[in-house]
Amino acid sequence: MNPIISHIIPVEAIVDFIYGPLIWLSFVIFAAGLIVQTWRYKMMTKINDNPPLIPKKEIPKSETGSRWERFFYKLAFFRLSVMGFNPLLVTISLVFHLCLLITPLFLLAHNIMLENVFGFSLPSFLPGTSHLLTGIVLACGFFFMLRRIIIRRVRAITTFYDYLILGLALAPFLTGFLAHQNAFDCYDTLILLHILSCEILLIMIPFSKFFHMIFFFFGRFLIINEYSLGAPKRSWQF
Amino acid sequence: MSDNKNNNGKIDTRTIQSILKENKKQIKLGLTMCAHCSLCAESCFLYMSRDLDPEYMPSYKFLHSIGKLYKKKGKVSAGQLEKMRDLVFCNCVLCTRCYCPFGIDIPSLITLGRRVCRSQGLFREYDKA
Ligand code: HEM
Ligand code: SF4
Ligand code: SF4
Repeated sequence: MNPIISHIIPVEAIVDFIYGPLIWLSFVIFAAGLIVQTWRYKMMTKINDNPPLIPKKEIPKSETGSRWERFFYKLAFFRLSVMGFNPLLVTISLVFHLCLLITPLFLLAHNIMLENVFGFSLPSFLPGTSHLLTGIVLACGFFFMLRRIIIRRVRAITTFYDYLILGLALAPFLTGFLAHQNAFDCYDTLILLHILSCEILLIMIPFSKFFHMIFFFFGRFLIINEYSLGAPKRSWQF
Repeated sequence: MSDNKNNNGKIDTRTIQSILKENKKQIKLGLTMCAHCSLCAESCFLYMSRDLDPEYMPSYKFLHSIGKLYKKKGKVSAGQLEKMRDLVFCNCVLCTRCYCPFGIDIPSLITLGRRVCRSQGLFREYDKA
């Protein structure tokens, strides 16, 4: 490091901060942020005891009819659902999200650190499996990016922020993978970037579009809506 | 009065801003949570019957009306507001059938777009072509 630069900017102190306190800080902000944001959104809703717009007894039951009728009813429902219209996107999205969540949790290197710090750890995938899952996440991310560029209706609502969000979600995977391969012989730099990108991601999740990981369940299971799931009781009260 | 300009081309930014302020939470929620994924497209019969024109996609209609107004803090030109009027009055009939994986209430956001347009004397005139 150029001594003049390191005199002006305390590079070593910043690196130490990223390797140490910021890790803890980002996990605390992540956890507290999820709780606070969920609470904030919940305060914007109220129990709604108005009778449903369509009384339950007037909704035709899908259980009636013969076995075949029920089967075709389900088939028609499936065909008309979002899965029937966008099978490729929904499948890739499910695979992307699943791999995104399980890869870091069951990564050997992460679990060794957990063991060292807390004395317990989760089971780990074999390194080959982790590589494959990381590759899948990156490939799905590439698919999302291409679709933003190519498909007219997605392009029509895409902003710079969408690429930024996608890039931030992929950065930990790319840097982690490259560091593991010791790409360009810069393990130290890559692992620092890996840690930093994860910290940024964790801090951002509660306060950005990433909060959809909670909001998806919030909006569908808690709020009465044409497409709600389960038996929600609340309505927005902005 | 001309066909498209029943507000004489004047925009009262203050009124728009007060509508935006009154509904800030709802608009902000919709804008933060919309993943810009386009999964709502096929649920709109108008999108399906207008040659899959993106301007009929539910998210397009709220992002480019109330969403744009919010981002520009209500400062839009008469021409821009007329485009929004077409989006929220002509491209949507508020049938409330649109699907969003996150349960974003798209019709009520489009309704807010209508409210802003109406406050500026812009609406759909069914007796005119
Ligand atoms: C665990 C619960 C989660 C659920 C239920 C969920 C659900 C969804 C849904 C429904 C979409 C929109 C449709 C699509 O593009 O496929 C989406 C998009 C997205 N999600 Fe998630 N998500 C979750 C967690 C996460 C996490 C933890 C991240 C990243 C840290 C993430 C990153 C993304 C990204 C980047 C997109 C946009 C993809 C694009 O560019 O179209 N998600 N998610
Ligand atoms: S409104 Fe919902 S379905 Fe439509 S683009 Fe936004 S997040 Fe996707
Ligand atoms: S409410 Fe509007 S956007 Fe939604 S499905 Fe109906 S016409 Fe389409």
